[in-house]
Amino acid sequence: MSEESNVIEDVRKALHRRQPLEQPPTPPALSEPLIRLVHSDLGLPELFTKSATNAKMHVEACAAEELPGRIGQFLREQKCHKIGLPISPLLEKLNVLRSLQAAGFDAQCWDNITLDAAYDLDAGITDVYAAVAETGSLVIRPNPGHGRALSLVPPIHIAVVEPKNIVPDLVDLFQKMQRDGVANNTTIITGPSKTADIEGVLVTGMHGPGYVQVYLLR
Amino acid sequence: MAIPLEQLPAAQESESRFDFNEISVRCAADKRLAEAVTRNSLNQHVGRQAQMAALPDAEGLRELAGRIKQHAIENLDYYLEQLRQAVTRSGGQVHLVSTAEQARELITAIADRAGCKRVVKSKSMVSEEIALGHHLENHGLEVVETDLGEFIVQISHDKPSHLVLPIIHKTRASVGKLFAEYFHTPYTDDPATLSGQARLHLRNKFRRADFGMTGGNFLVAETGHVCVVENEGNARQSLTTPRVLVSLVGIEKIVPRLSDLAVMLKLLARSATGQPMTVYTNIFGGPRQPGEKDGPEEFHLVLIDNGRTEILADEQYRETLRCIRCGACLNACPVYRKIGGHSYGSVYPGPIGALITPLFEGLKKYQDLPQASSLCGACYEACPVKIDIPKHLLQMRRDIVSRHIKSAPERLVYQAWAWVLRSPRLYAIVNQLQKWHLRRSAKGTGWVSKLPPVASGWTKIRDMPAPAAKTFHQLWKGRK
Repeated sequence: MSEESNVIEDVRKALHRRQPLEQPPTPPALSEPLIRLVHSDLGLPELFTKSATNAKMHVEACAAEELPGRIGQFLREQKCHKIGLPISPLLEKLNVLRSLQAAGFDAQCWDNITLDAAYDLDAGITDVYAAVAETGSLVIRPNPGHGRALSLVPPIHIAVVEPKNIVPDLVDLFQKMQRDGVANNTTIITGPSKTADIEGVLVTGMHGPGYVQVYLLR
Repeated sequence: MAIPLEQLPAAQESESRFDFNEISVRCAADKRLAEAVTRNSLNQHVGRQAQMAALPDAEGLRELAGRIKQHAIENLDYYLEQLRQAVTRSGGQVHLVSTAEQARELITAIADRAGCKRVVKSKSMVSEEIALGHHLENHGLEVVETDLGEFIVQISHDKPSHLVLPIIHKTRASVGKLFAEYFHTPYTDDPATLSGQARLHLRNKFRRADFGMTGGNFLVAETGHVCVVENEGNARQSLTTPRVLVSLVGIEKIVPRLSDLAVMLKLLARSATGQPMTVYTNIFGGPRQPGEKDGPEEFHLVLIDNGRTEILADEQYRETLRCIRCGACLNACPVYRKIGGHSYGSVYPGPIGALITPLFEGLKKYQDLPQASSLCGACYEACPVKIDIPKHLLQMRRDIVSRHIKSAPERLVYQAWAWVLRSPRLYAIVNQLQKWHLRRSAKGTGWVSKLPPVASGWTKIRDMPAPAAKTFHQLWKGRK
């Protein structure tokens, strides 16, 4: 296994090079007018809502103080009982965990949930690292307090998005990731899990959440 | 599919010539298969066209994407080294392997050393290319394909027939029958119920898995990341739940910068399935961080050559390495839509398969594939990285001639024909003889139902109109 084959040498030979390049090569310039589909910072919450709705996510605008109540009502409608949350300054500030517990839900923070137990959750509630107006995407960047499984294995994912999270375009997302230092794992979520493998018929909730509810704070 | 796959010649094992004509004729004769493939691929094709038309400058974006990929493969030595260093910095282990065999041995060794037994695999063309699943199973590991289509392929011992839609050739009824037997449940052909049955089954597999495998759509050299796109969430679970993660990726998948992903992602899903974005875009590179409770403890990136440097060395065909396996050329191709993916006799079907299979596996064995095209150009028009597939197929036909790959009798016939064409008089004589012979075999019906041996293929499944009484030359001379 320690035996490293000479793939890089072979590649160099195939490119008719005798030795490694002395200077880094210059990749094609990325002209912003060409690669950008969203050119303005104006109206991002509206654009995000439109794109996310097109991607079959359910977006509702919500005042911060109403959030715990709204989530509780949604969870009751969906008959969810076991709920998982990350340790998140935003959710903590909005008092989501304690409100849900007080309302009778079995809500737990990620530090009290094992990966295996996450498979038994009815819903996961998360904040986001970013949201993308162009595509209506939610961007999740896990950390020790925010498990990857929370937005993945429960059948319902509830995401809380602040307007300041929204970037205009995928171009901006990658610039932000570069600035922040790229983590070992980032997931861009654009819609509920789905498949069309059997005769092209669309089925949601294949392996990930089949329902994505987004609360966009005012 | 009506033709049991066991009857198809095994593409990898024999060195003899792959008989494209025989298989494609059989596949094209299967009405149900042709209908399913045509309907699904046309849907995707129309979806792609609508999405691309909605882009302000789709042509400019394709041009740029093609240039990014071309730049990356032309500086692949530099970017591979950069990628290796970046992944290592994030705590991942990078392995560069030359052959399929090395890759299979390495991956089993990783599993053995970590004591892993239960493998969840997400869809990856390169793992099909090296038949990794079978190898791991033979090694005593439990291997589960977790993409719904690939799972169905696995339990029916079939082969995928499309790059993106592996079971495009199967009907819901055949899946229903398969699941009723496999899960011991009452028969249903409802796609939602069937998907639900697979979901439950595979969820338990994910929960217990200790070894996850993915491929990769892109590799980011600068930051050391793998990018995997998908709609189902099975790749995301494969790279989240198991404690060991191995990503097996072809070396040509590199892009230089993280921001290049913005360009590639805007084209990939639009080209593949007519979506602006796939549901999950996974960008990862390295094991979980200290304190994290999920994600892999060990991350291995296996970068495989398996014939790619040979294609790289051939400047004529180098640009075929740009391919991002979106399947747009398959959906656009009138030939693919008639004959389906199994007709191409290898992992990579459609126009791009007709091109890269001979490059990977040898032109002698796959000399029929470059002919499996009308050169209409729909594939080139659809390709998001602008690979000029028709041009390369034509070049490959020239190679077949110049390298004397065709059989001696066939070559002789063409040489004789070329000789005849050089002399107008000789041409007129041969033409008269031919006309006389064909009109005689038509027996006054106006149709020739059997041509002599060299051309007999033409009349195998259809008749040929008999020539007119007077040739064009004769009519021209006799005009007033």
